[in-house]
Amino acid sequence: MSQQETAWCPGCGNFSILNTFEEAVKKAGIDRRNLVLVSGIGQAAKFPHYTEANLFNGLHGRALPAATGIKIANHTLNVVITSGDGDMYGEGGNHLLHAMRRNIGVKAFVHNNQVYGLTKGQASPTSEWGFHTKLQPEGVINAPMNPLAMGIIHDISLVARAYVGDREHLREMMVEFLSHEGGFALLDILQPCVSFNKLNTYQWYSERVQPIGSDHDPCDRQAALELAGQWEDTIPTGIIYRSEREPFESLLPALKEAPDGLCEKS
Amino acid sequence: MDINVRIAGEAGQGIETAGEVLAQALADAGLYVFAAKSYMSRIRGGLNWYDIRISDQALFSGKENSDILLSLTAEGIKTLQGKAGSQAVVIADKATAENSSGCNCLDISGTAKTAGGSKIMANMVAAGVVFGMLPYDIEALSQQIRQAFDSKGEEMVKKNLKCAESGAELTKGLSDKLLFPQSGGADSFLCSGTEAVGMGALSAGVKFASAYPMTPATGVITYLAKHAREYGIVVEQAEDEIAAVNMVCGATFAGACALTATSGGGFALMAEGLSLSGMMELPVFIVLSQRPGPATGLPTRTAQQDLRFAVHGGHGEFPRAIFAPGTPEEAFKLTRKALATAHTFQSPAILMMDQFLADYVTNTAPLNTAYRPIDKQITTSPGEDYRRYKITENGVSPRAVPGGDALVKADSDEHDAEGHITENLSIRIEQHDKRMRKEKGIIEDSIAPMRYGPQDAQELIINWGSSYGPCREAVDTLNERGHGIAMLHFAQVWPLKTEEIKKAIQGDAPSWPELTCVEGNSTAQFAGLLKEQGIIDSRKPLLKYNGMPFTGIEIAEAIESD
Repeated sequence: MSQQETAWCPGCGNFSILNTFEEAVKKAGIDRRNLVLVSGIGQAAKFPHYTEANLFNGLHGRALPAATGIKIANHTLNVVITSGDGDMYGEGGNHLLHAMRRNIGVKAFVHNNQVYGLTKGQASPTSEWGFHTKLQPEGVINAPMNPLAMGIIHDISLVARAYVGDREHLREMMVEFLSHEGGFALLDILQPCVSFNKLNTYQWYSERVQPIGSDHDPCDRQAALELAGQWEDTIPTGIIYRSEREPFESLLPALKEAPDGLCEKS
Repeated sequence: MDINVRIAGEAGQGIETAGEVLAQALADAGLYVFAAKSYMSRIRGGLNWYDIRISDQALFSGKENSDILLSLTAEGIKTLQGKAGSQAVVIADKATAENSSGCNCLDISGTAKTAGGSKIMANMVAAGVVFGMLPYDIEALSQQIRQAFDSKGEEMVKKNLKCAESGAELTKGLSDKLLFPQSGGADSFLCSGTEAVGMGALSAGVKFASAYPMTPATGVITYLAKHAREYGIVVEQAEDEIAAVNMVCGATFAGACALTATSGGGFALMAEGLSLSGMMELPVFIVLSQRPGPATGLPTRTAQQDLRFAVHGGHGEFPRAIFAPGTPEEAFKLTRKALATAHTFQSPAILMMDQFLADYVTNTAPLNTAYRPIDKQITTSPGEDYRRYKITENGVSPRAVPGGDALVKADSDEHDAEGHITENLSIRIEQHDKRMRKEKGIIEDSIAPMRYGPQDAQELIINWGSSYGPCREAVDTLNERGHGIAMLHFAQVWPLKTEEIKKAIQGDAPSWPELTCVEGNSTAQFAGLLKEQGIIDSRKPLLKYNGMPFTGIEIAEAIESD
C-alpha cells in the first residue's frame, strides 16, 4: 500500500474497496509494473494514489477515453479504471456508451454510491426516483441509469455487480476482473456514502443484496437482462453477463502485427 | 503569364473530380498549377467551383477572376460570369443555359449521354472541353483519366476517355484570343496541406490518431486511415472531440506518438484536454484547421480566426508551441517539427492550418517521406527512485512509460514530483515553475520568421500561416512595379522570440519599416500578439474575413492604393 494520506471520510466504503483490491492484486498475482490505474475526478477517482501502480488520474468523466488510448498504445498493459458513478455514468456517460460499442479491453471498477460526494451531495445518474438532495429538494424526477443493462445490450465481455459490504465476494469479483483478458469488463460496486446518502445505507443494501445463484447462465442474454433489471426487493450480485465478443484491440491490424503495441521505445 | 480556369456546378456533379484530373494533367504537362476548391456545406445542389490557375512560373496564390469559366449549371453562370475577365471565354451547358448572353453554349450533358451513356459524365466532357482549349498534349489528360477511373474497371475508363475526347472536339476556335503559358519544367507532384500533414505525421512515426470528423480537418485523419495498414498505425473515429484528445493523452502517456485533428468548434471541446496535456506534460499534437466562426460559422470556408484561441485556449497556464505553415511543403516540415517539439519539451504542440491551405494543391518539390521517426525521448532506464515530475533546471523531467521498471504516475491535479495529488502550496509553486521553465527552451528552439524580398525594405508585410503565398505574390507584383517591399512570414506564432523578431523586422532598413499585417480575421490577432509582446507598435492591418482566401492581386492593390 502507498504512503499517501487518503482524503476519504471515516467509514467510507472506499477503504474496504481499497483493502480488498490490495488482496485481489496479490491473489491474482498481478505485476504492478504492468498495471495502469486510470480515473477521472471525484472521491473514488483518488483511489489510484492510495495503492502502488502506474496511474493516470485524468479529467472528470474522461477515464474511459484515456484508458482506451493507453490500451491501444500498449495492449500488453493491464488497464483498470477505478472511479465513481458521477465520473463514469454522468460526466463520462457518452464515453461509456462508446467504450461498450468498442468492447475495449479495459476493466472498470465503478464505486457506485448513488450520490455525488466531492461536490457535497447532489443526485448522481444512479440516484433513486424521489431521492432528496439540496439541489433536488423535490426529489429526483429522472429515471436511474442502468449501466449493467447497457453493458449487456452492447454485448461487452463481462458485466458484474458487487457490494462493498460483502468483501469476500468483492475480492472474488476483483480477482476475476484483474485476471480477465477479453474486452470491456464493467464491475459496478455498490457502496453506501456515509456522508451524503441517507437512503442507500449499509442496512438498506444488506437487506437487499443477494449473490446470484449457480443456476444462472451468464451467457444467456435474456436472463442476464432480467437480473440487471432487478432492484426493488433483491439486488443480485456476481457475474451477470459474459460474452465471447472479440475485444477492440484484437481487431486492429496494427496491434496484431506489433505485439508490444504502438509504443516501441526510442 | 498565367491564366485561371474555373469549372462550376452543383455538389454531386463531379466538379472536384474534373478539377483534380485537370490539375494533375496540367502539372504532368510541366505547368505550374495552383488549384483550389470553393464549396458549400451540402452534399447535393448549390454552387461549387474549382479553380486551376496555370503559369510558366511558380504560383503561390489563386486569383478572383477567371479567364475560362465553364459552368454545368445556370446558377454558376449567373454568379460567376461577373468574375470572368473581359477577354474571358465563358462556356455554359446548352441544356441549362441556352439564353445566357456572352456565353458559348456547348452541348456538354448531351455529349456525355452520347459518348458515355449518362449525363453524370458531363464532368469529364467539361474536362475535355477545357483541355481542348489549351495548347498542351491531350495525352496528359487521358493518362489522368485512366488513373482516376482505373479502380472502376476498363469499361468506365473507356467511357470517360470518350467523354473527354468528345468534349475536346467541341472547342474549335473558342480560345483563339487567349494567351497561354508555355509548358515547362514544373514539378509534377501536386500536394495539399492536408496530404503534407499526413505524410509528415507518417514519416515522423505517429502511431495513433483519434479524431471526430470536422471540416476542414477531416482530410488529415482520412489520409492516415488510408495508410494505416502500411505504416502500422491505429486510427480511431472518436465519439466526440473530448474523447479524441483524451485518447491521445492516454496514448502518449503509454508511449505512442499520437495526434488529433479538428477545427475551431472541436478545438473548443478539446480545451480541457489541452490543459490536461499541459499539466501531465504529455507530448500531445493537435492539428487545428480553421474555418470562419463564431459557432458553426461558414463550415466550408477559410479563416485565420483562432490564433488567440490556440494561444490562450485551455484553463490555467502552461507552455505550448504553435506552428502555422504557409505552404504544403512547410506543412510537411512543421508537422515533423511540431511532433519533435512536443516530445522534447513534453508539452502540447498545435499546427494551425485553414480550409485554404488544407485544400489547395500546388506543385511541390518531392518531400522526403522516408520513415524517419522522431526521437520520443523516452527513458528506458528510469532507475529505482524514478519520479515522473522531478524538478530540473530546464523544466524537462525524464519521461518513462508504464510497463517498464518504474511506476509512472500522472495526475491532472497539482502533484508532487512522484505524480501524486497534492495541496501543498510550495510544491504547487515548484511544479508550476518547473512546467513554465520549459517555455524558455521552446523559445530557443523556435523558428525565426522568414524574410522574402529586399533586406533594406522600408515597407514590410507581416503574415502568418496560409496567407504566406498571396503575400509573396503581392511582394513580387509590387516590386515589379517599383516598390521596395519585403515580407516576414511567421511559421511559428507562439512563443515569440522577441529580440530576434525585432531585428528581423528591422532588417537592413535605415529606419523602422512601415508595417502591414495581413490576416484572415477582423481583429488583427497576430499583430495584437506582437504588440502585446512589445515587438511592434503601430501597424496597418489588411484583414479579410468573408470566408474566402486572400489573393496576391488584392493584397498588392490594397497596399498600392493605400
